Amino acid sequence: MKRIPYIAGLVLASVLASCTSLGPEPAPVTGLESPAAPAAPALEVTVHEGDFAKILQFTTPGGASVWLVSEPSIPILSIEMAWKGGEAADPEGMEGLANAVVYNMNEGAGDLDSLAYQTRMEDLNMSFGCEASNDWTSCSASMLTENAADAMDLVALSFSEPRFDQGPFDRFLREQAVGLNTRETSPGYLAWRAQAQALYPDHPYARETSGDSLAALTPEAAKAQMRALMTKDRLLVTAVGAVTPEELAPMIDKAIAALPETSSLPVTPDIVLPATMPAEPIVVDLPQPQSLVQFAGRGLARDDPDFFAAYVLNYTYGGGGFSSRLMQTLRVEQGLTYGIYTGLNTGEHLLTWSGSGQTKNESAGDFVAGIRIEMQDLVDTGITAEELDDAKAYLTGSYPLGFDSNAKIAGQMMSVRQDEMGIDYFDRRNALVQAVTLEDVNRVAKEYLDPANSLFVVVGQPEGLN
Amino acid sequence: MKRILTAGLAALAVSGLAASAEDATWSPSTFTLDNGLQVVVVPDHRAPVVTHMVWYKVGAVDEKPGKSGIAHLFEHVMFQQTDTLAPGEFDAIVSRNGGQSNAFTSWDYTAYFERVAKPQLGTMMDLEADRMRNLVINDDPEGPFISERDVVKEERRQRIDNNPGVILQEQVLSEIWKGHPYEITVIGKMEEVAALTPEDGMSFYREYYSPENAILVVAGDVTDEEVRALAEEHYGKIPASGTAHGQRKWQNVPLLTETRTLTHSDPKVRQPSWSRYYSGLSRFRTPREANALDVGLQVLGGGMTSRLYQSLVEDQQVAISANAYAYSDLHDEGPAILSASPAPGVSMDDLEAAFVAQLDKILAEGFTDEEVVRARNQLAATAIYARDSQSSMAETFGSTLALGGTIEDVLSYPDEVKSITTEEAIAAVRTVFGADRHYIEALLLPADGAE
Repeated sequence: MKRIPYIAGLVLASVLASCTSLGPEPAPVTGLESPAAPAAPALEVTVHEGDFAKILQFTTPGGASVWLVSEPSIPILSIEMAWKGGEAADPEGMEGLANAVVYNMNEGAGDLDSLAYQTRMEDLNMSFGCEASNDWTSCSASMLTENAADAMDLVALSFSEPRFDQGPFDRFLREQAVGLNTRETSPGYLAWRAQAQALYPDHPYARETSGDSLAALTPEAAKAQMRALMTKDRLLVTAVGAVTPEELAPMIDKAIAALPETSSLPVTPDIVLPATMPAEPIVVDLPQPQSLVQFAGRGLARDDPDFFAAYVLNYTYGGGGFSSRLMQTLRVEQGLTYGIYTGLNTGEHLLTWSGSGQTKNESAGDFVAGIRIEMQDLVDTGITAEELDDAKAYLTGSYPLGFDSNAKIAGQMMSVRQDEMGIDYFDRRNALVQAVTLEDVNRVAKEYLDPANSLFVVVGQPEGLN
Repeated sequence: MKRILTAGLAALAVSGLAASAEDATWSPSTFTLDNGLQVVVVPDHRAPVVTHMVWYKVGAVDEKPGKSGIAHLFEHVMFQQTDTLAPGEFDAIVSRNGGQSNAFTSWDYTAYFERVAKPQLGTMMDLEADRMRNLVINDDPEGPFISERDVVKEERRQRIDNNPGVILQEQVLSEIWKGHPYEITVIGKMEEVAALTPEDGMSFYREYYSPENAILVVAGDVTDEEVRALAEEHYGKIPASGTAHGQRKWQNVPLLTETRTLTHSDPKVRQPSWSRYYSGLSRFRTPREANALDVGLQVLGGGMTSRLYQSLVEDQQVAISANAYAYSDLHDEGPAILSASPAPGVSMDDLEAAFVAQLDKILAEGFTDEEVVRARNQLAATAIYARDSQSSMAETFGSTLALGGTIEDVLSYPDEVKSITTEEAIAAVRTVFGADRHYIEALLLPADGAE
């Protein structure tokens, strides 16, 4: 694979600039056509000229670490911000607090109440919103280049003077109260809960909102938690759009100026999966004609030496759509399902290799048996050399498809940053796939796939499960 | 997920269209091969990737009585076998080339696509051209046609039968389109799908699958000249079949003549919802009126700043959601819909009374120029944001042309929607939701005894 981590001249300029950042040199060349504002101080920009994206890496004067892909052909700008720390940091008994934080981030700031804030976003034809997962708090903004400065001013107002008004806060609580009811008939939620209770009942990941935890939430607590979650030292920024580093840096600095430097968050322990999984599927009754079948076993971390062997195996197992064995057998040959998929889940503290599919209740037993048979076959005989070649051909050949839009590139860069894969990851990745051997794959199959020791959860009214 | 139906039961949601025609760096083009295949090229040079789509001018609307679901089941069958490709080889070849392929069926069209790195474009054309001409349908009673029928039955359970809200929606749409081919959902009736035969598939193929009844769309890192040369090479050699008559079964949808209420109670429903489906418009048939309706609906119930949301959710706090929207992107007229879900402790009767009172008040008062300008600018801006996605741009051009529209229709959308006046926007919603209009009211309720 071609790999051009740096263009020599530019890198030299950047290194020089970084040695004497306040020196008299002109701003380093960034390869962009429009020059910086004349009075702007030199920004140290390192250019990573990769196969899939040319990433401009810099730290703003205000301290934000930014990866930017400057893409002039469409007059829009997408910015993503992320901080490590999310729902798992909710205090015990205040589950839902991180969600209250992110819900309120576009519900009023400064002189603008919720309606005025939302109206201002519409006037600017922009969007801004935040979300929380177990371990991350993220915000994203999309705007038109022509009024990007105004749009970022509004984002800045949310970070500096968020209102957390009682009105929107109460609306959040009403929506959450409805959610407590509707989740009880949601197959995906019921499967998640059954799995969490079976695998890690005492871990923060298994905690969920309740009537009591919602009653404990207040706007003041949410505002304090916002300051704990969104700090300068943990901030990661990625951006793609028609903008130069010199144009973007001051906008980001203005946005983050009021964020605390740091905070302390509770440490989330890693989950150790039980050595023995329940022998029989866990059934959650739900009156519907089709059953959701979800299954999970041990997984691997992104930095595990066997990760790519597992990743390649997963394609043949159940990740490769029509090319996967589960899809071939259970859909194409047996007509038991519309689709079945598997994937490696590499959370910060939970590693699983899981899959799911749906089948009519009458065939649930055959479906579960069929999954186990395919798993056992991979353990016993592994995949063929041809299957390995097919997997590598697809996984490497399709990689460019993930880089054909601004939004995809911004998201890909953020994933690499969150997983700490390094700025040259995009260019190394296909070689890592190619380096996987048949021996690696078949060893990993034996080591990780175990039909007799996988958790099966079935939601519906399944028949034929023994 | 593979082999998808467009947006489940419904048509495509109103999607962003294209950016301004003044954008000199962006110039989609079209030409037609001698065999009648229309070709559209949508350049986007940001990444060395292309989206290759073939749209056939046939959909569920064209199915014969008793054969509902054939358009969609046939779309599945298109992945199975040709004179030279064994079952499964199509997918295998696309995957080995690093490609992703998929297809979808709506009432109005059927589309197949592959997304690949640019050097593989010719191979993808070869595959699509092959199955345009040389499809084989195995008639073994135990064979792949039959197992694919079972797959579609599972697809129907997954999309519709497992979801109380969609079960109700299917019933309501059947009422609003009674007597029109749209009255049957795209995936078809379970018992009719179960009775479809390989012979049904073959006669459908002969009647509709031919270059003169198709549109090729290539979006991505290509030029007009490159696509022209490749299309001539791969598709140009296919003769027009002569059996594709090109007749569609579209017809006007008459206004509802009676108001009805449909109720679906289900133990899985834990949050009730209320909606009314009115006779709406088609952007293809009456573009100006449909755009005016979109602007009016945006002001009325298009988001958090809308009139209905601010009154019912924010001020009165009787609803947890309140919306107004329409299916205007079908060839024939689709419904305009009002919907809401009650806040905890609010009865459906009280919710409906509050909704209707507020609607009447808004329709009587009219809109301000300021909110109409904001709404139409938002709709126009979606066209700019939509350009970020190569595949959705390909879909926008393909679907517009498959309905009989033009590239110019796509390019002029932002200007057209920005020219809608306040008077036109309020007139559109006053007409569609007028006191003289009938509607289908739909109530989704918990089963008796459920929480």
